[in-house]
Amino acid sequence: MNAATVETSGSPIDEQAMERATVALSLTINGRLHDVRTASSATLLDLIRDQLGLTGTKKGCDMGACGACTVLVQGRRIKSCLALAASYDGEAITTIEGIGTLEALHPLQAAFIRHDALQCGYCTPGQILSGIALLSEKPQSLEAIREGMSGNLCRCGAHPNIVAAIAEVAGL
Amino acid sequence: MSSDSALRYEAALKVTGGAVFEAEVPVAGLLHAALVEAPLSCGEVLSVDATQASTMPGFAAAVSHAEAEALQPSPATALIRERVIHFAGQPVALVTASTWLEAKAAARAVRIVTEGRPAVTALAQARDKSFAPAMVGRFPAESRRGDAAKALADADLVIRHRYETAVNNHHPMEPHAVVCWWEGDKAVVHTSTQAIFGTRTIIAHAFKIPAADIRVVARFLGGGFGCKGQLWWPWMLWAMLAAKKTGRPVRLELTRAQLFTLVGRRQETMQDIGLGFSADGCLAGIEHHVIAQTSTHADYSDSTAVYTRFLYACPNVTTTHRLVRTNEPQPVPMRAPGTAPGMFALESAFDEAAERLSIDPIELRVRNFADHDQEAGRPWSSNGLLECYRVGAERFGWSNRPERGSAVDGHWRIGWGMASTLYPAIRQACKVRLQLAADASLRVQCGTQDMGSGTYTALGQMAAAALGVSISQVTVELGDTWLPEGPFSGGSQVTASLMPAVEMASAKLRARLSQMAVADERSPLSGQRVEDLDFQDGAIRSRAGNAGELLSDILARGATDGIEAEGESAATQHPSLAATSMGYGAVFVELGVDPELGEIRMRRVCAAFAAGRILNPLLARSQYVGGLIGGIGMALHEMTVTDRASGRIVGDSFADYLIPVHADMPDFDIAMVDEEDAHLPGGVKGIGMLGTAGIQAAIANAVYHAIGRRVRSLPIRIEDIIG
Amino acid sequence: MSGSLFQYSRAADINAAVTQGSRAGAVFLAGGTDMLQLWKAGTIAPEAVVDISRLPLDDVAYADGKLSLGAMARLSDVAAHLEVTRSHPLIADAILASASGQIRNMATVGGNLLQRTRCPYFRSDGLACNKRIAGSGCGALSGENRQAALFGASPSCVATHASDLAVVLAALDAEVEVFGAAGPRRFPLSDLYRLPGVTPERETNMVSGELITVIHVEGASRFAARATYLKVRDRASFEFAVVSVAAALRVENGVIVEARLAAGGVAPLPWRLTGSEAALVGRAPDAQAISAAGNLAVADARPLAHNAFKIDLLRNAVIRALQTIGYQP
Repeated sequence: MNAATVETSGSPIDEQAMERATVALSLTINGRLHDVRTASSATLLDLIRDQLGLTGTKKGCDMGACGACTVLVQGRRIKSCLALAASYDGEAITTIEGIGTLEALHPLQAAFIRHDALQCGYCTPGQILSGIALLSEKPQSLEAIREGMSGNLCRCGAHPNIVAAIAEVAGL
Repeated sequence: MSSDSALRYEAALKVTGGAVFEAEVPVAGLLHAALVEAPLSCGEVLSVDATQASTMPGFAAAVSHAEAEALQPSPATALIRERVIHFAGQPVALVTASTWLEAKAAARAVRIVTEGRPAVTALAQARDKSFAPAMVGRFPAESRRGDAAKALADADLVIRHRYETAVNNHHPMEPHAVVCWWEGDKAVVHTSTQAIFGTRTIIAHAFKIPAADIRVVARFLGGGFGCKGQLWWPWMLWAMLAAKKTGRPVRLELTRAQLFTLVGRRQETMQDIGLGFSADGCLAGIEHHVIAQTSTHADYSDSTAVYTRFLYACPNVTTTHRLVRTNEPQPVPMRAPGTAPGMFALESAFDEAAERLSIDPIELRVRNFADHDQEAGRPWSSNGLLECYRVGAERFGWSNRPERGSAVDGHWRIGWGMASTLYPAIRQACKVRLQLAADASLRVQCGTQDMGSGTYTALGQMAAAALGVSISQVTVELGDTWLPEGPFSGGSQVTASLMPAVEMASAKLRARLSQMAVADERSPLSGQRVEDLDFQDGAIRSRAGNAGELLSDILARGATDGIEAEGESAATQHPSLAATSMGYGAVFVELGVDPELGEIRMRRVCAAFAAGRILNPLLARSQYVGGLIGGIGMALHEMTVTDRASGRIVGDSFADYLIPVHADMPDFDIAMVDEEDAHLPGGVKGIGMLGTAGIQAAIANAVYHAIGRRVRSLPIRIEDIIG
Repeated sequence: MSGSLFQYSRAADINAAVTQGSRAGAVFLAGGTDMLQLWKAGTIAPEAVVDISRLPLDDVAYADGKLSLGAMARLSDVAAHLEVTRSHPLIADAILASASGQIRNMATVGGNLLQRTRCPYFRSDGLACNKRIAGSGCGALSGENRQAALFGASPSCVATHASDLAVVLAALDAEVEVFGAAGPRRFPLSDLYRLPGVTPERETNMVSGELITVIHVEGASRFAARATYLKVRDRASFEFAVVSVAAALRVENGVIVEARLAAGGVAPLPWRLTGSEAALVGRAPDAQAISAAGNLAVADARPLAHNAFKIDLLRNAVIRALQTIGYQP
């Protein structure tokens, strides 16, 4: 590679365009209605985490791979980092904060604790929400649970205990 | 203190989303930061111009080399003070704005002028310029015992092969983050670091301020595996400079793509190994030569061939480590540093020898068992490797191993393989504080970290057991430099480091409480001998006569404000060690290979580990299994690829960098071999990295067993099986 | 660099969608699972995003042997639809082998077919890629090309198409219905995608503002009994195909009367293996016929430095798929 001078620059965006680049949304999150204004380009994940301060939902890759950002929309699991917030106007969303509390754990949360289905805890909310959605699909075997949970990555290696916790709640 | 499968201390917080990771610390007026990356892999930054960026909506401030020049020079500040570009993606500035999206937009508008230089973007490109580092960690880079060259020349059987391991990245699920602000000249830094006190020291030196004026907090870490350490510091310091410049709190979160370049990697290795055996399978000589990649701004060598010096008995061993500088990111330790790549080579070569000698692979290892550390010339403090082979083989059913290539399951050819694993057991200096309140609730404090390894639980259990209270009565505080200085989280050292410090502090409390009881005529234990007293169930009980009294009653009488004590322990004193301490394991795998489609699928893993006293089998099993899964990833999937033309990473995402998913999981059978070790406080060794070495060779050995093809590079993938 | 800001609008109806989508700098948003990744990586920099996800185009219907999949139908709904699982299991199998549960709940049929290549040179914002920046070169050609195409590539571009569903639909002779400023039009799926040639940035024959409305699959239930989608991956799940094969046969009296074969992961578009298909018709589904079909499938393969293994892999995958459906009673 020869020595060369390289310039890089981006293109500025005018202020009026930036002001236009927001949307007003109504979202029901964990049963509570939120009227918010956010950037047109904001993901549901950033809205939940940064704007609404619900930090239980995690940002692991922001590219739809790790699943740490999993939330439920009308009970269906999605990856909120690939969800444009504006596109979810009017939807009902459940995050980990809406699943259970320290005083009243969801059965899957309790099973996670019993089976030590976590280590660092960063993938855990996503695994639990994904697991809850999977349970509603009535998986019939451990293999089906493993396949069904494969959209949730874990780097600490809690996989076998996670599957055991889900299997216990599934009655397998 | 018996072992106890207490549930993970902080599990309830983590499953409810209530564990606040440091990026999530709520703070008013937060600015968001984005890094500006250089587009070339080698050269110099001539100018950084944020004029255009500064006109963008939400823009607050930019910092670059100019601001960093105010910091003291050091390895931690080199990359932000010096305008030299060492690798593609190296940040050259940090921009802050009101939102993350605005920060990214502003970062795009920063104008960088650079001058490129010829880059070295692959190890092979500069192999002839390799050099030997002086040290490999705490070991010399080269070793020579006897005359390995002659031994190999004279040996009945010589196995000589090259083994290669690819670049891996740590990829903890939580990307690195810092939320930092200044209160006058004092800094508050919430950051995902495996070393809060090391971080504090770095900040103190960089900013020339007293350590006491800096608070570093890392209460929960979403994994680390070795990358939440020194290479994170430069970017963290830039965020702190931005916080200083703006007078506002600043948050920097790395993107997943940046975790491929900015915070370290497991270096690729090229290992030439020669094993010389006598016909009866005894090792006559070993040569193990390693070449690995390092960056152009720092040297790092994994201890890849170090363990070859003493794992097996051999009178003639030569090992060398050499490095090649490339314009690629800097390597650092990654889970099972040294052992992971080194055991792949050694344990694969051993298997190849076993085949040639017609000796069972386990038997060959048993024949070469080292009954003491031949390299350091001292005994093992304990070595359970033989028991690991025995227990693992029995549970796995090794005696039923089918003939090579004979076991079939539909399209799958079944293979069985095994390997040894080991990891050093060492300790760091550590301080803890115990505070017993009047109601006998116990608070334990230590400025160490928990990255999922179970430190909260270990500390809580130790303290609870030491004072005979229930763990439900214990509050554990970690991760804050306002607490007594604890060890960094690495090297599988934390639990062992905590043990003597907790024991010292609790001994002081026990002594004080005992005295408060026996010396007080109002106590049922009045007049008892301290030596006869036991602490259990929240009370002190005398073995002589069964008298007893609740701790809370003792405290209510004599210390209504509670009592506290501190304890400390020393780091392993390597030069004066009387014995070498290692944890050991034997790993057995069964897998299936589809020879036509090239797919490899794990079926079952059985591992027996002898790693001292296990405090909590539930959490220990999680650590062992987690380590094994990391090893499976290294063996079958993980590979970070550099585009030679540009020096950039190709496929810097989880879509391309594959780690094992749920569907990949085999059954795991873990055996924890009982082991006592009088040399080690509490008999505790580290366990977190034992699973991540050995299994790679076990897998390669199993692939050979399945289809008769020997793969000597990692990861083993479809193209290694087909064609 | 990534993450340029854009404006958002939701199309009230299909005509509005076409109007808004025709503007320069506009892109459609359906499920968003690909679009958002591309935007975040800096691969695309839309100025306006037109949300078409709520257009009433999500119907799945089956009547008189004609299956229609609304372009806005979510993948998970399609895979679970009774008419799909019962009479077109190949479609369900391909979908269930795709991505992850969460993505399948978000992604749409149309979006899946129009997803951009996974080639890492395309998906970065700094590596040489003619598809992303015309004239910047093809970094994969002389660089890392394990994923690259065996067929249909050009010196300008060696990228592959990543959709599983597209491979199956190609095998079943699906047709695509689109709607644009010129109204609706319908054409075979095989006319949807373009080979890269010297214009790799032009991936489809759709014009600006057009959107897919319906996918038609007709007469395909006759293959339901003997069809399989074989997806070869490095790991057991949640990965794009290294190579995949959709195979379907009709066998009467021990003789193959019809054969459908399409391959994924080997070309810029789903690759119909017409040579192999023709060679199978009239033969018994035995080892020789199957082996011949496998060899024909790779006859024109052109490997690069790192993807030659895909030749044997494709051959073996074709054979394996045909064995699976050919040997069954």
